[in-house]
Amino acid sequence: MMFRSSTIAALALLASAATASAQDVRIGFHVPQTGFAAADGKSAMHGAELAVEQINAQGGINGRKIALVVYDDQGRADQAQPIANRLLGEGVKVVISGSYSGPTRAAAGIFQNAKIPYISAYAIHPDITRAGDYVFRTSFMGEVQGRAGAKLVGDFIKKKRVTMINLNNDFGQALGAGFKEAAPKFGLDIISEYNYGMSDRQFGSIVASVKRDNPEVIYASGYFFTAGPLVSQLRAGGVTATIVGQEGYDTPNFVEIAKAAAEGVIITTSLDRDSKDVEMRAFIDGYEKKYGIAADMVAATTHTAVRIAADAMRRAGPDDTVKIRDAIASGKVHAATGTIVFNELGEIAKNVQAQIIKGGKFHHYAVIEDPVLLAPPNK
Amino acid sequence: MFQLELIVVGIVWGCTYAMMALGLTLVYGLLRILHIAHATVFTLGAYIGILVANLTGNLWLAFPVAMLVAGIVGPLIYRLVYEPILKEPPYVALIASIGVLIAMEDGFRILFGPYGLSFANNPWFTSVYDFGGITLNVVQIWIVLAAVILISAFAVFSSATRSGVAWRATVSDPPIASSFGIDVIRVRYTSFFIASCLAAVAGVLVGLLNNLVEPGMGNIVSYKGLAIIVLGGLGNVVGTLIASIVLGVIESFGTVYLDKILDRDAIAFLFLIVVLLVRPQGLFAAK
Repeated sequence: MMFRSSTIAALALLASAATASAQDVRIGFHVPQTGFAAADGKSAMHGAELAVEQINAQGGINGRKIALVVYDDQGRADQAQPIANRLLGEGVKVVISGSYSGPTRAAAGIFQNAKIPYISAYAIHPDITRAGDYVFRTSFMGEVQGRAGAKLVGDFIKKKRVTMINLNNDFGQALGAGFKEAAPKFGLDIISEYNYGMSDRQFGSIVASVKRDNPEVIYASGYFFTAGPLVSQLRAGGVTATIVGQEGYDTPNFVEIAKAAAEGVIITTSLDRDSKDVEMRAFIDGYEKKYGIAADMVAATTHTAVRIAADAMRRAGPDDTVKIRDAIASGKVHAATGTIVFNELGEIAKNVQAQIIKGGKFHHYAVIEDPVLLAPPNK
Repeated sequence: MFQLELIVVGIVWGCTYAMMALGLTLVYGLLRILHIAHATVFTLGAYIGILVANLTGNLWLAFPVAMLVAGIVGPLIYRLVYEPILKEPPYVALIASIGVLIAMEDGFRILFGPYGLSFANNPWFTSVYDFGGITLNVVQIWIVLAAVILISAFAVFSSATRSGVAWRATVSDPPIASSFGIDVIRVRYTSFFIASCLAAVAGVLVGLLNNLVEPGMGNIVSYKGLAIIVLGGLGNVVGTLIASIVLGVIESFGTVYLDKILDRDAIAFLFLIVVLLVRPQGLFAAK
């Protein structure tokens, strides 16, 4: 084994005429390890580390191991800028955002200007990829997922009267906009709509309103730490309407908080727990084995982002950022969240998975296939 | 009926604020310190409560243990953080207090993880009573009862016991109180103890109400608590209680009728700004 890896290193040395060394290929990674987004940050970190471990076990990038250069952005835009500059100073050739929209938007322009390929794992703001042609995103845009939600309610759950409960940040608003845009196509009647803030955990007044409105379906956006309390309070308040969520619910932490109230909740996401696909299983099973907890969407899409960076560097070499960008843009990578192909804006187009919670676990409910409805913007 | 339900929801929220803000106003009245770190005692109470409840399966036990631990930590914050800097201008204590809040929040995150903890068994949350169409779960009922019982107990303490009279004397004039033989230092510790016990009860109850205990749960209460004691007329106990309930009810209506424009926290501060424009001394200040 020792002999083998040193042989590969020697070959790599020969192959690369310039600054060849057996050093690790470094990938920049900023992620909220402290602050309000630290929970998602931890999942993102797990997903990225698992990807690095798996890629290195498969021989790394042409024999060189990859390593993450990690910075804590606290989920804050004002932290992202100095971090982006530090990553540039360290000479990394590709950077991944394992963070929210605020810091990712702030950093995207900097990496675009420096011509460093930048992949947003799960930040959803539409302006991120509009920073330029070096910026990519491996998750669904909010609007796309919102439209998928409307199709899920109309075509699969087959119910019409909807109350919307939107988180008032960019994630919730984008989901709500997409849902409303597509609602008429599926004959949905939106009878009421409420907004709530990121720090809200008590939904007494919204529960009272939903009881009065008496909808058949509740389309509620949020993260596990808002959706968990919201869903439990709706159910405790006697609301029995079907609850439809999105990838913000897609973590065992949601079930942990909502417990029995989580049963029957249906979500749109990019991770199919019941998939037989080799890549998806390698991620889902590998994650559970390494961390002792079930995987979530944030980990899956961050895992995918690292896979894409590594794949491009494998094909284009780890040093030329122009070639790496072109390799990402033209690549077709089969990863934990499906087959990833980017459009000219750097957005992905793929099927949306619908999962239902049964017995405390996420399970397959439906696959939403509609290339026209689910097409991301391309400019 | 719907409007009535919103009022009831608002009163429940107001009662959680009252239990928090009473402590803040006690400390402010005594030391002129804006005790932001009070929110960390609230979070501590919630964590201790959930750990005890999950370990023993006994929700009742969660309260005395949380009160005990918070009742030790609160006075400790006074002793270690505020006492050495009492001679400095008030903003020094305020900055120190914010420091404690941030440090403790990350402490909770390191100790208990960023995902937060949820109650293994929260029977109060799921047992619901119907009061003529208005449904309340047992947590909500207990929040109102706890606020009424604890605040009444405090009222009795401060008006009918020797320690209470000593406390009031110290608030109104520390040097004179001291010259009459009142142990001013003891009064301070007592105040921090009472404030911290109240915060711990509020913390456990809010944890039960949210069905979630998380490292940052004190943040909102910290600045909202400040808004409330300003509204109530700094240091005015009755004003603080009324301001708490009024704010809870305004938020309850606001989250349904103003939600497209402002979120719950923004509503609280809009209310604060409007009140301060009209009555700069707060709603219930003496002058």
